Amino acid sequence: MKKRFLAVACSAAMVASMTAGLATNVSAATDEFAGEELSILVSAGWMDNRYDETIERFEDTYDVTVDLQTIPADQYMDLLQSKLSTDSCADIFWIQSNPFAIESVIVDPEKYCIDFTGAEWEEKIPEARRDACKYNDKLYGLQLWHNSPEYVMLYNKTLFEENGWEVPANYEELKALCAEILEAGITPWFLPGADGWQHQLAFFQIGGCYEEAQPGLYEALNNNTATFADNEKMIEVLDQFKEFSDAGYFGEDWIGTDSTNMSNEFGDRNCAMALANSSFIKQIQEDTGTEDEFGLFLEPLGDNTYFPASPAGSTMFGYNGTEHPELVKEFFNFVTTTESLQEILDNSPAYTNIHVNDDAVEQHWLPEEEEFMNSIPEEKMSISVLQNGTKYTNDYWNNFGQDMVAFCQGEMEANDVLKNMDTNRAEAAKTTGDEAWK
Amino acid sequence: MNKKKIYPQWFLIVPLVLYIVFFLLPSIMGVGYSFTDWNSRSVLNGTHFVGLQNYIEIFTSDKDYLSGIGHTLMFTVVSNIVKLIPALLIAIMLQEGLRGKGFYRTMLYLPSILPFVIIGLIFKSILNYNNGLLNVLLEAFHLGFLKQKWLSDLGMVWKSIFGVDAWRGIGYVMTIFLAGLNTIPKSYYEAAQIDGANFWHRLRYVTLPMMTGSIMINLVFGITYGLKVFDIIYVLTNGGPGHATEVLTTYAFQLYSRGQYGMSTALNTVLLIITAFVGVFIVRTLGKQEVQQ
Repeated sequence: MKKRFLAVACSAAMVASMTAGLATNVSAATDEFAGEELSILVSAGWMDNRYDETIERFEDTYDVTVDLQTIPADQYMDLLQSKLSTDSCADIFWIQSNPFAIESVIVDPEKYCIDFTGAEWEEKIPEARRDACKYNDKLYGLQLWHNSPEYVMLYNKTLFEENGWEVPANYEELKALCAEILEAGITPWFLPGADGWQHQLAFFQIGGCYEEAQPGLYEALNNNTATFADNEKMIEVLDQFKEFSDAGYFGEDWIGTDSTNMSNEFGDRNCAMALANSSFIKQIQEDTGTEDEFGLFLEPLGDNTYFPASPAGSTMFGYNGTEHPELVKEFFNFVTTTESLQEILDNSPAYTNIHVNDDAVEQHWLPEEEEFMNSIPEEKMSISVLQNGTKYTNDYWNNFGQDMVAFCQGEMEANDVLKNMDTNRAEAAKTTGDEAWK
Repeated sequence: MNKKKIYPQWFLIVPLVLYIVFFLLPSIMGVGYSFTDWNSRSVLNGTHFVGLQNYIEIFTSDKDYLSGIGHTLMFTVVSNIVKLIPALLIAIMLQEGLRGKGFYRTMLYLPSILPFVIIGLIFKSILNYNNGLLNVLLEAFHLGFLKQKWLSDLGMVWKSIFGVDAWRGIGYVMTIFLAGLNTIPKSYYEAAQIDGANFWHRLRYVTLPMMTGSIMINLVFGITYGLKVFDIIYVLTNGGPGHATEVLTTYAFQLYSRGQYGMSTALNTVLLIITAFVGVFIVRTLGKQEVQQ
């Protein structure tokens, strides 16, 4: 009996000492950063509130403060470039990354970014997204993005059914439908131009139709053997866009309207369609409590039939000049734990899934998404959107948007909008020292 | 050594060194860089002399930098007109025996202490076409026909900018005018009144000639502010809609943000030349006025 008691007591003492040791180690690890401040520079919409709980847990765990600097989308890139070039960036910064973006946006990743090569979380990034996180085989970025249909036409299915409206399959059908919807006193296509970054999507998300009209276009654009200017399909799409703008199909003042009220506009049935992420359906329903059903279809400008495939998304990077490199690394480790990934997804009303290699994360796919994805033939899903499939294009996103507005207001010609993109891309290529532009 | 001087010459050395190191030298270097291809890749590729290429680009490019220069000059002229004249009249009004003038002065001055970013955010909301306060109020008072797309209509956007700029700036200009008005001896007005001068006569023959100094100060401040205008435009329209409200500094900022530092400094050098030219003109005019007085 005595022996048994002694054995139990020894075991208990051993467990207690091990636990105490563990607790001491965790405490030591977290105490290491106590009192430090981690700053994050991000564009509005890239983190939203979905990281709040994770950040709060991070602060509690490490006894640190996170300073989240959220910048309006139309000013973000300008500010980031200034911060990088003046060596005054936040500890963590974000960019909208694609396979070309690290070189063209960050320019000198070795100077500005922490090299995370060998980090455990690399395995969590799906293969298709790694190119947007790596440069010269070194891992710099962490892309936690969703795999839902991005910026396709979202429509109020109930409203359509009540009015006998059919989903349009091409440009002419869309135009006729918009005329009918406008006649009913509803904004046919809600387009928030004041955001500065949304209206360009109507042009760029249908990259597949440009490639179809001129096979090999992407490669030629990347080799500098083709131009945006004089591309007939692109001019056709811009003209169609202006036609809609002139006809008021985007709303009475789309240039001055931002997306703040977009879900309410849907909920109040003030608009019938918009270019949006599929997960926006969930957001409309949660924001407004509407019982209307929503659906998705491909954007028909340019008679497009292609799905906007996009191996890109907002991506976070550690700033090499940070005073807290270890804390930055801890943050990246922390947000890639299953608990954090699940938390980020669960706190994202706008996202139904998170595209990571982690089977333990429970995804929330919508039936509308599955129905839409299943309706598109496989061969129509392989061409990337124009901005992420061609070099330097995405870097001039806002400039192109400004030109589109100027075109719609009669200040520019369609081909001049395209010419400006060529000029800008050439400047970027020159800065980068791209051989194809020499 | 002149013993009548209160301070010795070497007192000048410290401020002079600071001025040279932190202002003059960077400015000269900036002008120098405008003749190079300095860009975000220069760390790797080096910076090369390109002569007048950046300037040729500014004056011949499709990017319409010239309209940016034109907008800058237009803003300088109009913003001064819409601020100086009302501010002068308000200052005269508040100098006369108006009840509660201290309160009005404070209220008018308050906007000028607000940061532009705050003002921009507030006015962007107020001027929103669909649900902005201004259009909602117009609707409420059955004045819906006056509703405008304040920040997105090409014919309206500059007027909105001038309006917001005047709202912010009039109080400051008025304060300088008030200081000027306080220096005019009351006996001048009494003498003018005895001679039968009415309000306009007093304004024309007493107030304005005695206010030359204040007017000049406001003009110098206003013109330099107008030429380097950036924040009010950046926060309200960011150069839009399209490129309708781009000014020299917004273009320079865009170029710098894109890593085209050489081009950006070339644009800033153009601004420097314009400012220097206007500055010299004003100082000379001011000098002549003082001599005449």
